[in-house]
Amino acid sequence: MSDGKRREVIISEQEAASLLKDGMTISIGGFLNSSHPMPLVRAIIRNRLRNLTIVGAASAGLETDMLIGAGCVKTVIAPMISGESLAPIGPSFRYFAQRGEIDVIELDEHMYYQGLRAAAALMPSLPWRGGIGTDYAKLNPRLKEFDDPITGERLLAIPAIHIDVALIHAGAADPFGNVQHVGTGFGDRAHHRAADMTIVTVDKVIPNEEVRANPYRTSIAGADAVVRAPYGSHPFASPGHYLEDAAHIREYVAAATAQLKNGDRGPLEEYFNTYVFEPKTHAEYLTRIGFERILSLYEV
Amino acid sequence: MSQTAMDYTTKELMAAFIAGEIKDGETVSVGASLPVCRAGILLAHLTHAPNLKVQMAFTMTNLLNVPVLESFEFITDWRAARWAEFFYNHDIGPDLYKRRRQAIFFIGGLQIDAYGNTNLIGIGSDFRRLKMRGPGGVGTASMGTNIGRYYLYVNNHNRQTLTEKLDWRSCFGFGEGGADARKRINLPGSGPRFCITPLCIFDFEETTKRMRIKSVHPGVTLEQVLDNTGFEPVVPERIAITPAPSAEQVTLLRHRIDVDGVLRRSQ
Repeated sequence: MSDGKRREVIISEQEAASLLKDGMTISIGGFLNSSHPMPLVRAIIRNRLRNLTIVGAASAGLETDMLIGAGCVKTVIAPMISGESLAPIGPSFRYFAQRGEIDVIELDEHMYYQGLRAAAALMPSLPWRGGIGTDYAKLNPRLKEFDDPITGERLLAIPAIHIDVALIHAGAADPFGNVQHVGTGFGDRAHHRAADMTIVTVDKVIPNEEVRANPYRTSIAGADAVVRAPYGSHPFASPGHYLEDAAHIREYVAAATAQLKNGDRGPLEEYFNTYVFEPKTHAEYLTRIGFERILSLYEV
Repeated sequence: MSQTAMDYTTKELMAAFIAGEIKDGETVSVGASLPVCRAGILLAHLTHAPNLKVQMAFTMTNLLNVPVLESFEFITDWRAARWAEFFYNHDIGPDLYKRRRQAIFFIGGLQIDAYGNTNLIGIGSDFRRLKMRGPGGVGTASMGTNIGRYYLYVNNHNRQTLTEKLDWRSCFGFGEGGADARKRINLPGSGPRFCITPLCIFDFEETTKRMRIKSVHPGVTLEQVLDNTGFEPVVPERIAITPAPSAEQVTLLRHRIDVDGVLRRSQ
């Protein structure tokens, strides 16, 4: 029964984490070194979720690499996993993929968006031309070549990518799930539309009046849950709020690279212990990173 | 055009070559990881392409009146928004190809074959046990299929990268070759125009679509190119020399586009 009041959707990071279960398909928004919902990424690792299908961003960053490195991932869907100049190819992604320990669903960016659109439109698949004449259908047996019934042209059918929970990080949202990204929002909207549920971590919760003052900026209306998380994308950037913490990202890359190059998992375990397992909350994590470091990630 | 520069680096020469390829009014993406391509695009913009449609760090912009175009280490650097005229939501990419008929793009590869096909998947014949897992195809399969034209670009000209046979083909250039290689499978874009390397420029011979040496950079010998290329390119009777940049181009590069000197570093 309704109590006649509009329901607020702000939940705690623990409540959000409890919605994520073994075996789910979970997407992580953002792009490369920006805008990842890190309190929830760390919660997935801390809660030792297993057998996840992770839908990374069109260019996923090292947050997806961390989930792979922590052993949470069975299947990964991302056209690229990279930390740009900090790690051109995700080191844990390389390690697990080269050993056949994860399934890599090979798609290029626009095949990937067609798959997300198919899910959003409740279609089994959508057609696409890019990839014809390549090895994509060999690498990814889910892709099927077919002859277009209108023109007879050879095309690829891209199967729908259904997401159980989309995890997104944005600058701000109001208590009712009206999300306002600063700037582009990358491909986050496509994740939201393909998902049964969207949880957004935000640097700042803003009043509904502020949303109504500038509704053009609302990028996602009706996110299912909002988690208050200042500096919630750290060590990655959040547009309008802070830059990436390149030194910290390098720390992760060095640890994961030790496993890739020498099979030495020690440094990576130590990284996860220090920054994921020991700090039980986002606040404890930020404390461990340190006030000075956090405040140094200014924009000019 | 002003006088030829007396002093320039190979990367500055490559950037000047790229600038010469870009026409006014075209759409180009400026990435963060290919500083030579970035510099070439911006050089064209500041010299002969004032109406260039520049896509940069998820914005669309025009940078003509910006005195110094500082470079960003990461493509996601939101400080580029200071110039934004439009924010580009990445998921609209598939809907832009009609408009990208007048767009150009740069594609690299772990491996590139003689017909301009490229591999970003990885090295090794067993997909589940790759010897080196690559970054993934990014957007190359779709861009290579649809975009007006594109350029292959390699930082290191060697036999491993420029190879006779790819382990995996993630982007179609001219397939197995032939003038109609792309038309046969209805690919709208015209495919790779040149392959730009630190040693030379390759074009594609018209009937076979096999790579042909178009020009070698000043000081580079034909032998050097052949020794470092893993396939046999078509060698024309007369080999041209890639034109040196003009003094004006080098000045613009050093004072407005590449102030940090990325193109002046050896690696």
